[in-house]
Amino acid sequence: MRRLRTVIVTLTLAAAGIAAAADSAPIRIGAILPLTGSGASYGVWMKGGAEIAAEEINAAGGIAGRKLEIVFDDHAADASKAVNAMRRLVEVEKVPFTLTSYSAPTLAIQPIGAQHHVVMMNGGGQSDNLANKDYLYNNIPVVSNEVGVIADWLARDKKLRTAALVTANDEAGRNSAKTFRDKYAAAGGRVVAEEQVTLDGTDFRAQLAKLKAAGGELLYINSYGRNVAIIADQARELGITIPLAGTSWTLVPETFKSPGAEGMLTTKLPFDPELPFAKKFRAKYGVDAGFFAVQYYTGTKIFARAAEEAMKKSGGRLDGDGVKQAIESLKVFDTISGKLVFQPNHAALMDIEAGVLRGGKVQVEKVIKASH
Amino acid sequence: MDLVLQLFATGVVVGSLYALCTLGWGLIYGTTLHFHVAHGAVFTLAAYYAYVGQKVVGLPLPVAAVAAVILAAASGLLIDRLLYQPLERRGAVRTTLFIASLGTLILVENTLAIVFTPDPLRMDIGILQTSIRLGPVFLTALHLLTVALVIVAAAALMLFLRHTRSGQAIRAVASAPEMARTVGVDLRRIHLLTYAIGSAISAPAGILVAMDVGAEPYRGTTFVLLASVGVIMGGIGSIPGALLGGLFLGLIENLGVWKIPSEWQSALSFGVFLLFILVRPRGFFGRRVASAEL
Repeated sequence: MRRLRTVIVTLTLAAAGIAAAADSAPIRIGAILPLTGSGASYGVWMKGGAEIAAEEINAAGGIAGRKLEIVFDDHAADASKAVNAMRRLVEVEKVPFTLTSYSAPTLAIQPIGAQHHVVMMNGGGQSDNLANKDYLYNNIPVVSNEVGVIADWLARDKKLRTAALVTANDEAGRNSAKTFRDKYAAAGGRVVAEEQVTLDGTDFRAQLAKLKAAGGELLYINSYGRNVAIIADQARELGITIPLAGTSWTLVPETFKSPGAEGMLTTKLPFDPELPFAKKFRAKYGVDAGFFAVQYYTGTKIFARAAEEAMKKSGGRLDGDGVKQAIESLKVFDTISGKLVFQPNHAALMDIEAGVLRGGKVQVEKVIKASH
Repeated sequence: MDLVLQLFATGVVVGSLYALCTLGWGLIYGTTLHFHVAHGAVFTLAAYYAYVGQKVVGLPLPVAAVAAVILAAASGLLIDRLLYQPLERRGAVRTTLFIASLGTLILVENTLAIVFTPDPLRMDIGILQTSIRLGPVFLTALHLLTVALVIVAAAALMLFLRHTRSGQAIRAVASAPEMARTVGVDLRRIHLLTYAIGSAISAPAGILVAMDVGAEPYRGTTFVLLASVGVIMGGIGSIPGALLGGLFLGLIENLGVWKIPSEWQSALSFGVFLLFILVRPRGFFGRRVASAEL
């Protein structure tokens, strides 16, 4: 009996020792991003933004004294790859939190995260279906906000009342197209034709020829990534001269460089290229930072703030539920772009700017303030 | 009507690219009876040779393109010399060669994807990018060049096969290999020559697509599949048939979009193909499909 007690005491002490060691071990979180494929340009921004945030957090002493490490994984815009990455993060890395991106991949991993109590922070995907999901938070507005603004701006301010739609054949594209149809009709516009394109396609001339024949005063792009520049250039090549339009997700480096996209009507979410963060990004990666770089910088910083809060409450223990409760109770986070408020639907609201793409920059014509 | 004309023109351009593949693949299949799917790898390699030539080595585009065609011809020849011929010497059946060919295609594609990423790599094509208006139809200078090149390639191939000794030897091997061997034709040498010429004819298709929309690692699979379809539709062993088969595929793919939603584009060609082999198994010209072997 006495020997058994000794064993138990020893085991307890050993367990305490492990716990103490774990307390100084690095905190690992995941990041499931489009590192290759049609959205690789977003991947450069997102990964870089998260890395800079982690460096800053670690340089300032880490989270409650523990270093932050990010495990990056590639979904290449493919939901099944995202699921594999999420399983590895949950089962092998046992992370309490992961950054995520894109609509279809995020919707695919959300049930796994909810089941294993892992918080997911999406800073890129904008499908309306991403709202109101357990353990999933979006530090970006869902698409109905932004599409609502651009549909209204195009129909009322720009007086472009008929539109042809080119739509990516995925969750994000279809959701954007559906929302555009509703909001554009509400603003007095009419959709005359719609054609679908694949995200990894490179030749959309047949679809564009059909849209050209359908007429319309405007070609609205419900697609994103390198697709946008290909659509723009091939549209111009086919003699399509009407204005092109699309929301902030169309604004990737390929689009800025595309001659066909010159004059495109677009909405964007606030990003200040003069931020010290943007300068740091440029120096470190040799490319200009964009909105999505800030998004993942911010997502990482939100985690750090929430994790600190959670560990304060639990006496140093960190898990997904603690992070979730901290996000719910804090609700408001200070970011380099101003205050970020999570709405009851788990998405952030932001100011939305509408303008024209000229010489690789959006000349803002109108700002629609977010009403929190 | 403008739409139909535009779709027709785009169809001819795409069909010309298919026709280059069909000509090369058909020549090889008709002569060696190898179901050479690794032709897709040669097609893709040609694109990357041209890309590396222009963007890494810094050669002018025409030089890079010609060098890429020569390297592609050598690649096709080497596949026969280092893979098919040793297998045949050991008595491998055609199915074994086919599996080896498929393995080569997958190996090359994945290696390219690892080395160059799966993303399309754009080349600088300068004035070839200029959009040209022909009535209601818009094409780029590159597209016109593509069509011109197919005509030249088909004519050159036809002249070569009819009027040179090597060409006649290839035709002899294609129509009666045993007889050709009996009269002293070196089958192995003719096979090597066929691979080199077949690869050189299809290589420009790979390079032209890369110049138009970027070099991509996995594109060869689609093209070689369509090439085999085009050859069977056109009639095995027929050059005009191969040309027509390729053009026909490009045209259905694009004209079909006129009334059918565009997401059906690639399903359409294969659907028409299935109908075709049921209704007209001989193809436009040439031998019966049933007599064609793997």
